[in-house]
Amino acid sequence: MRILWFILSPLIALAVGLFFLGLARKFLARTQWRYGPPIYQPLIDILRFFTQKSVSHGAVFDLGVILSLAGSFIVVLFLPFGGICPLQSSGGLLVILYMMLLAPLGLALTAGEAANPNSSIGVSRMFTLALGYEVPLLLVVLAVMARYDTISIVEIVAAQREGVSNLATFPLVLAGIAYIMILPALLGLRPFDVMQAPQEISSGPLAELGGRYLALAQLQHAVNMFIVVSLFVNLMWGGSSNVLIFLLKMIAVLLFVLWINASFPRLRIDQAIRYLWRWPTLIAFLGLLLVEVMRK
Amino acid sequence: MSLELLMAIALGGAALTYILSGVDSKLRDAVAVIVSLTVATGVALLYGRTAEMTIATGFLGIPVGLRIGPFSWLFAMTVSAVSCLSVIFSLSYMRGRQRTGFYYAMLLLVDAGMLGVVLSGDLLTLFIFWEIMSWSTFLLISFNGGPALAAGMKYFVMSIIGSLSMLVGVVLIYVTVGTLQFAGVAAGLSEAASGYRLAILILFGLAFGVKSAVWPFHAWLPPAHSEAPSPFSAVLSGVLIKMGIYGFLLVMYVALGLKSFFSLGWRVLPVHTILAIIGAVTILVATFIAVIQTDAKRLLAWSTVAQAGYIFLGISFGTAVGVAGGILHFLSHSVFKALLFMVAGAVEYRTGGVRDLDSLGGLIKKMPVTFAAALIGVCGLIGVPLTNGFVSKWLIYKTLIVEGSPFLAFVALIGTWGTVLYGYKFLHNIFLGQLPEKYKDLKPAPFSMRLPMVILALTVVLFGVVPGLPLGVIDSIGSSFGFASIGVTAGGVAAETGTINMINIFAATLIGLILAWLIFRAGARGARVDQSDSYAAGAYVPADKYQYSVRFYDPLQRLMGSWLKDPVDSFYGGLAVRVGKVAEGLRRMYTGLVADYVMYVVLFLAALILVEIVWRPW
Repeated sequence: MRILWFILSPLIALAVGLFFLGLARKFLARTQWRYGPPIYQPLIDILRFFTQKSVSHGAVFDLGVILSLAGSFIVVLFLPFGGICPLQSSGGLLVILYMMLLAPLGLALTAGEAANPNSSIGVSRMFTLALGYEVPLLLVVLAVMARYDTISIVEIVAAQREGVSNLATFPLVLAGIAYIMILPALLGLRPFDVMQAPQEISSGPLAELGGRYLALAQLQHAVNMFIVVSLFVNLMWGGSSNVLIFLLKMIAVLLFVLWINASFPRLRIDQAIRYLWRWPTLIAFLGLLLVEVMRK
Repeated sequence: MSLELLMAIALGGAALTYILSGVDSKLRDAVAVIVSLTVATGVALLYGRTAEMTIATGFLGIPVGLRIGPFSWLFAMTVSAVSCLSVIFSLSYMRGRQRTGFYYAMLLLVDAGMLGVVLSGDLLTLFIFWEIMSWSTFLLISFNGGPALAAGMKYFVMSIIGSLSMLVGVVLIYVTVGTLQFAGVAAGLSEAASGYRLAILILFGLAFGVKSAVWPFHAWLPPAHSEAPSPFSAVLSGVLIKMGIYGFLLVMYVALGLKSFFSLGWRVLPVHTILAIIGAVTILVATFIAVIQTDAKRLLAWSTVAQAGYIFLGISFGTAVGVAGGILHFLSHSVFKALLFMVAGAVEYRTGGVRDLDSLGGLIKKMPVTFAAALIGVCGLIGVPLTNGFVSKWLIYKTLIVEGSPFLAFVALIGTWGTVLYGYKFLHNIFLGQLPEKYKDLKPAPFSMRLPMVILALTVVLFGVVPGLPLGVIDSIGSSFGFASIGVTAGGVAAETGTINMINIFAATLIGLILAWLIFRAGARGARVDQSDSYAAGAYVPADKYQYSVRFYDPLQRLMGSWLKDPVDSFYGGLAVRVGKVAEGLRRMYTGLVADYVMYVVLFLAALILVEIVWRPW
């Protein structure tokens, strides 16, 4: 039974992620007074990519996209999703933080082997932005771990109250605010879509990707969306033992981020870092301090 | 093999190599490899042995002796294994160069010196081998001449200050305790006043701090590591700076002892917390400076400073898990950093000495094995799961979080993201991107370079998947220091405060990879294309100009550039200039006139007589 969940939960994440991608396109279209594509359009796109011709720049080019998608699948195995968590007791939140490295690393390897300056610039921006949002994110995660005195994400979820009204409860208020402020950056959405920036650097790391390579990159993007949103729901909004409620919470968070995405223009990378290291970091720092003071 | 025979082979081998270099270069190379292999095998055979012995009692009646236990064995094994691989790597690296005989002799002598340090049974032996190690290191750092000479000098001056401070410490201990044997010292120090124990810690800490390049004593390391011959950089970074870590462990947990060490300092700010903070500062400063380096070896050198910070943070934080994590990170770092310096060396060897990250690129097509080794090494450095660096860093983070130091944990974790930045820069600027025209006919690294790299890369993965292997030894070291066992399993650690099982994670990774690969297989195959067949929005792709590597993290560099200077280094530089000026002033005394010198003698005697008459001290 447990083995089955090892296979099933990545696939569930994939399906939910694809649904999110479709929802995002629809949402953006409706805010811009367009009708927009059907919600299953990303699935159609990916199926089409799989049949199309593509180019490969070498073994590492292939390995990178596989590693990237695999990395996202692995993270899913550690994340509780409405009571489902196949790998509970193998290192907890720290392993999740580290496993989240695999996907960008894989994408970076593919982009590097692609030998295209657009891709390299995209990777450079991707890592720089990651360094930008990791500072507040780590402070937030540490505040959560210090609040519940554990590094296990399952225990963190269990320690929070069931229900919908438990979003960022005291003393995690400040940490929660900081977390919400950096969510668009974590997802790579506007105003933080510097990594792809189609109008400047031809989609950055994806510039050389076509056919199944692009399909895998899209799938990874979908799973990554699932991971980031579900991590927020688990850490800040109590998760849920009910899959349906968990999903609804995820959609609520996603809609908020999409609203930001539809409202703001893109920041330059240095502006983005300056923002991330200023207000969210300050608030997250105070949040961690607050948790520490309350603990004493 | 007995300890004195082992030391005799190590020291005698160095001398023999030097003598043979006049006879035949092939024979000399063979002897160098055989000696280092014998020493490594000898140490491996000592696994699990505990012994103590005295060689002689000649010098001032103070006994000189050796000993071995799990603590010494782990360090000795790492030292001899990395040195052995470095000698093998040198075979092609040094071929056709000047003074190779001297090089091999010094390399083996450093090896012997380090072995002596970790196997020594008392402080006098430790000091003697410490000096052998330091001096021969200086000669090797300056081996290439030119800028290497200045780098060596910087190392030498700092190292001597450390050594002298250590000598003062040794004498101080001998005067008060009356013995230099570790057991006797520990017993004697446990009764001493806390101020005295703190003085001992500071005196030895200066020597070990300089060697392990902990901030603010790191200034010698970046130039020395980048200017030394690459195989020796691997030894330098892999094991030599870890002698400082060995020394710290020795003073903290053997000489002072667990309880005594933790009781030092003030209640709000104990000394071990201060040391942990120094470790965290080291991580933060060095990581961000590494990001902006453009010299491959200098980047690795700054990274070494940062990783030494992790080790230091682990061992001085002082929980059972923390110390185990620190020691394991010493082992992990030895393996992957030696590997990365060898990668830089192999690239340097094939491209004719190019270390500039801005002028390389695309070498993966010519040196695939070297790239694979570099990738694994960088993964270990970052601490990607399933490499050895992950387990050691996990242990350190876990103890910092669980024991309630989230800010230290924050610094350590953010250092990891910095590591991602410079680790990828190292990979990308050397191996990925466009291959320049001039490297079109580059050959892959020779076998004698690939062999050590492959062995080290396999070790990175092996210790990452089955960390129980080294953790078993480390757990027994912990118990000899007086810590509780951390509950080692084959796949990691299973304690009440948190479990990690790398074998589980390995299985999960396998499932993820297979799943992703199956999806990948489902698509239509891609056609292999050349690097010039690249997207350029319809424009022609210019040869040699379609590469982005100069100032790779430009926005970050513009943002942080003014913060990323090294004030410590400029302080030392200014100090050196001022000392030079004072010495220049003193030099004016030497006029060359005999009459002046006679006057100095008379004045000095007069001063002595005056002192005797007025204060009567004698």
